[in-house]
Amino acid sequence: MTTSTNLPGHPQVPNLAEVPGSILGRESAVTKVLLRRSAAARRARYSTVKIWVGAICAGVVVIPVVLANVLPLPDPIVGALSESSLPPFSAGHLLGTDPNGRDLLSRILHGGQTSLVIGFLAIFVSGLFGIVAGAAAGYFGGWVDTIISRLLEAQMALPLLLMLLLVVALFGPSIPVITLVIAFAQWPEPARITRALVLVEREKPYVAAARVLGLPKLSILSRHVVPNILQQVLVVVLLLLAQAVLLESALSFLGAGVQRPYPTWGGIISDGRELFVTGKPWLVTVPGVAIALLVVGVNLVGDGLRDRVRRAKGDQT
Amino acid sequence: MLMYVLKRVGQTVLTAFLAVATVFVLLRMAPGDPAANYAPPNPSSEQLEAIRQQFGLDQPVPVQFWTFLQHLFQGDVGTSFFFKRPALDVVLERLPYTITLAVASIVVTALVAIPLGVWMARRNNTAPELGANIGTIAGQSMPDFWIGFVLLILFAVNLHWFAPSGFDSPASIILPTVTIAILQIALISRLVRREMVVNLASPYLTVARSRGVSERALTWRYAFANAALPVVTALGTRFAAMLNGVVIVEVVFNWPGVGELVVNALKQRDFPLIQATVLVTVLLALAVQLLVDLLYPLMDPRVRLGEASA
Repeated sequence: MTTSTNLPGHPQVPNLAEVPGSILGRESAVTKVLLRRSAAARRARYSTVKIWVGAICAGVVVIPVVLANVLPLPDPIVGALSESSLPPFSAGHLLGTDPNGRDLLSRILHGGQTSLVIGFLAIFVSGLFGIVAGAAAGYFGGWVDTIISRLLEAQMALPLLLMLLLVVALFGPSIPVITLVIAFAQWPEPARITRALVLVEREKPYVAAARVLGLPKLSILSRHVVPNILQQVLVVVLLLLAQAVLLESALSFLGAGVQRPYPTWGGIISDGRELFVTGKPWLVTVPGVAIALLVVGVNLVGDGLRDRVRRAKGDQT
Repeated sequence: MLMYVLKRVGQTVLTAFLAVATVFVLLRMAPGDPAANYAPPNPSSEQLEAIRQQFGLDQPVPVQFWTFLQHLFQGDVGTSFFFKRPALDVVLERLPYTITLAVASIVVTALVAIPLGVWMARRNNTAPELGANIGTIAGQSMPDFWIGFVLLILFAVNLHWFAPSGFDSPASIILPTVTIAILQIALISRLVRREMVVNLASPYLTVARSRGVSERALTWRYAFANAALPVVTALGTRFAAMLNGVVIVEVVFNWPGVGELVVNALKQRDFPLIQATVLVTVLLALAVQLLVDLLYPLMDPRVRLGEASA
């Protein structure tokens, strides 16, 4: 703006840039270079770096896994015994084969489908349950809060992995059982976060306003409070996907995963563990790299997003 | 204070009881007949029945539970099916190995994670910190059994520095400790960083700085003193969780601790041994948690135990 503003009926406002000695007349000391170097700008840039690096890591694993049925891969379950224990980069077997002659790449990609399906279903269940329970505990307080908080505490004291192994032994290692078991292990996290956020949110004026307007409690909670905190909770739920994949692989490593001959990541590593001593380390290392890449990717994306959400909410950490 | 401790001890006993009861019922519901595991090959139904009777498994579950409780109050948690010895003795024999591993891991974690986290907070929003940040994310993203195997392949199979498994010499503890510590360092250092960033940005630090307090004292005596409470809590919780069994790492390294014991007991359907393990480890973990809580007032005079916030 170069000319001073003249609104009818208002005294004339001088253009500060033209007033001698005014700070606006000078070049600002805050240059663009300084702005770029500022902590806030760095933080924004670094969260972008994290999100991109994470998306690439996760994509490298997820895209081939999703396309596993379309790609020209050997059968993951039936192998040719003539091709047993080939090292990586053999002809026709990019990552080599296991002692049964099954293509490792194919097994990893098909196993990844199981892991991802279980992971996504598990975080859906645990996220939904956790948000509902946490929101109820935070908003209604009283005995609802007491029961849910006690449940959360009690679960922390239990030897979780042992319980999960027991339940899988009890109901059989099918995908629904493993999914529910993982969801059971994970629901405290979103529940606790939701409860804490709702406790803060319910004291805000718009909630009081909604109450004055006579809205029922449930619709205040579901249509006004929860949408305001959902973004922060969903980031946590995304981070749970990483945990779910790790937990699933740990369960199948201990023999409580989807059963042979169907491949799972933990199962492949578990099958390979007697073998690496005999000089076939790739059967253990390669599937682990797939898990680690996916989990690092999801964690990085989640962490980067969390930085952004926090910044939007004015939290400096 | 005394009331608070009594209340917490009561809660601890109640939680341990609930854990054991849950495991007890789940075990009896699980498929797989323990008797079949301990009978001679191709057993006759009379032989199986005799073993069930010997183990007391022919009774209905509520009766079994009642018997279990009666014995529990006499300090007897039953005889292991597999070892044919009091289950408690078997667990207590293995416990020192788990405790050693847990102590070693938590010490290494604290020694590395605290300086690392403080460094990350001091260098917040710089390129090296971004690198360390991504590194800690990677550290918590690798499956622990896989880290264990990679370490074994590197240092035991290829370099022959360590025996591949079991407990032969004091050096055997190094690889399991490193395996556990990688994940824990990643988690704890991020917590330290978060707490320190908040404290380093607080007004009291600006005041202290303006009075000429050295940066070193600002970091450690001022900011870290305030950040220490959540860090100690987290270390305590992690340590307690490890006592519940670092199951996977123990299985990978054949470490003769309770985690490995309980996985095998589960495979063999050794009910009394599983119950004894759960009882002992849960009680121990809760005791550690209680001790950490009792430390709070010593670390921070503002904390009063037994109030609503505690």
